[in-house]
Amino acid sequence: MRVSIPSLCGLSDFRGFSQVAVSNHTGRLVLVMTKEELKGASEEEQQAQSKKGLKKAQKEAEKAAKKAEKQAKLAAEQQSTDEDDFAKDRYGVSPMVQSQEKLDRVLVRVQQLTPERADQLIWVRARVHTSRAKGKQCFLVLRQQQFNVQALVAVGDRASKQMVKFAANINKESIVDVEAMVRKVDQKIESCSQQDVELHIERIFVISQAEPRLPLQLEDAVRPEGEGDEEGRATVNQDTRLDNRVIDLRTTTSQAIFRLQSGVCQLFRDTLTDKGFVEIQTPKIISAASEGGANVFTVSYFKTSAYLAQSPQLYKQMCICADFDKVFCVGPVFRAEDSNTHRHLTEFVGLDIEMAFNYHYHEVIDSITDTMVQIFKGLRDKFQTEIQTVNKQYPSEPFKFLEPTLRLEYTEGVAMLRAAGVEMGDEEDLSTPNEKLLGRLVKEKYDTDFYVLDKYPLAVRPFYTMPDPTDKVDLEKIKAYIDSFRYGAPPHAGGGIGLERVTMLYLGLHNVRQTSMFPRDPKRLTP
Amino acid sequence: MALRELSSLEKFLGLKKPNKYSTQGDRKVPVLQSNSGPGLVGLVTIATQLTQEAKRPDLLGKSAEERAVVQQWLEYRVARLECCVKEDIKTILKDLNTYLEDKVYLAGNHITIADPLMYYGLHPVIMDLAVMDKEKYLNVTRWFDHMQHYPGVRHHLPPVVVLRNRVYTSGHH
Repeated sequence: MRVSIPSLCGLSDFRGFSQVAVSNHTGRLVLVMTKEELKGASEEEQQAQSKKGLKKAQKEAEKAAKKAEKQAKLAAEQQSTDEDDFAKDRYGVSPMVQSQEKLDRVLVRVQQLTPERADQLIWVRARVHTSRAKGKQCFLVLRQQQFNVQALVAVGDRASKQMVKFAANINKESIVDVEAMVRKVDQKIESCSQQDVELHIERIFVISQAEPRLPLQLEDAVRPEGEGDEEGRATVNQDTRLDNRVIDLRTTTSQAIFRLQSGVCQLFRDTLTDKGFVEIQTPKIISAASEGGANVFTVSYFKTSAYLAQSPQLYKQMCICADFDKVFCVGPVFRAEDSNTHRHLTEFVGLDIEMAFNYHYHEVIDSITDTMVQIFKGLRDKFQTEIQTVNKQYPSEPFKFLEPTLRLEYTEGVAMLRAAGVEMGDEEDLSTPNEKLLGRLVKEKYDTDFYVLDKYPLAVRPFYTMPDPTDKVDLEKIKAYIDSFRYGAPPHAGGGIGLERVTMLYLGLHNVRQTSMFPRDPKRLTP
Repeated sequence: MALRELSSLEKFLGLKKPNKYSTQGDRKVPVLQSNSGPGLVGLVTIATQLTQEAKRPDLLGKSAEERAVVQQWLEYRVARLECCVKEDIKTILKDLNTYLEDKVYLAGNHITIADPLMYYGLHPVIMDLAVMDKEKYLNVTRWFDHMQHYPGVRHHLPPVVVLRNRVYTSGHH
């Protein structure tokens, strides 16, 4: 189709274009150049470029020749290896598991690999903890949570050279499915949890590959600090751990810590339920601050704003006024405190209790302390493996407590501090160093890591504390939730503790971030 | 402060007649005024003079070696303790702790003038020391407690509490 287009703007030179046409598809104007025209176009330019072109062409030819050579070589190798690889279908990278088929295969847990299973052919799915080749053999350590076992691929009638090479090159932390014969070993394998057996691999498939460069090495993450300094080996610092939390949580120590923490929660619930408590859930988006307005997060709530609950305090008490008698709740607590210490988080899990009592608040104290003692006992009896695992990396003394729990009055505590040379007033709050010192003094005198300090001076307590009737101190104005008290409220008392702190103190750890899976503090919002 | 110290020292030495003192310069260097001629300047000089006056030369050291050690500690008192900063205190306490590991007194087997003077000098430091540090520098605390209970030494200074039992196990942070 020929079109006369005097108005083609921007094109001053139509030389070299034989036609102007309109494309059928786009409706756009197309300038067409024939092949002959291209060839003939500016012969002078061509000549000048011919020398350069020649050189370029030469270089490219050389490159191509080399590449062809390499490829031929590889192909030849490949062929030779393929030829000799009789074990080709006993190893490899499996396609991604997308529930394509239901395999009737039983996977044995690494924990169950004991001498009783000797000479059995079993399948195991685990992570590759380490792999190293030694001549015609490759030693792997396969890890599953806290347990690991040594595995071996050796050139023989079941495995070929290529298979051993493949096993040695599997990236650390990849998940593999392994079919192997369980064999008893004469010499105990000290470095593994399963010390009496070894796996002789017949088939190995990679189910999920890990990247070759890991942000941190698990061996380094489990190394105790002192050992690291002594032997000059690397340890991983806390920030790196927290930035790559998913990998850090795979270490045996982390697994043990969080299993124990789960135990704390479980024991808390079970003990209280046995005592007749009801578990409640309190709202976390609230209209007024409960612990003082300074440390509260604000959220936008449609057209107004609301706060994130600093504690379930007010709602626990309202539940008592609603006749639930004994309640407890486990839930997040949000404190917007800009404290960058080893024991503060902006979000933590609170274990809270509230209970109506008959005539004396000591009934509640007895109940709470008994709950704590049951938790400590439960941890001591059922979680020894976890405690020992944690102690390997973070050595500490076992947790001590008295039964019944030691109870000191605030004045006694002040007297003990004064005897140690600390100057403080009778109505003065315990500063953190003094609190810590008092703990050491009590530990030294009574040999317990857990005690109750009773009768704090009212001046240092929040507004919802009931004053001692023998003390002539004015009642503070508790306007906020006084309505719930207007329609008959039973005498009640309660308390709350942080789950992370309990775990930290029980295990003798020194930073609360170690016991919080994905900790939140003024400087950390991810992961 | 040095003046009160010197008056305590006099009492320790058993001098009946108190002397007249004044201070000189920014650093409040004590000056012992005498009737004849210029006064004696400097804590060490005055202390030595007082000891001579009290006819207790044994307090300066029984042998030449002991005398040298006593002088060394008196110098230490003036040179390092008087003008030390917070960072230095740790080093001082550490050095002193190592030194006192196998000694009851600073020089020799009996009390010398070095002991009370070092005690006066270290008092403000030990007063503010946390219980944990007192346990860390155990030998210094032991010597200090010995000094503050020694008859005639303490006088004007408040007693520093020293716990009888260890509260911190070694290895705790």
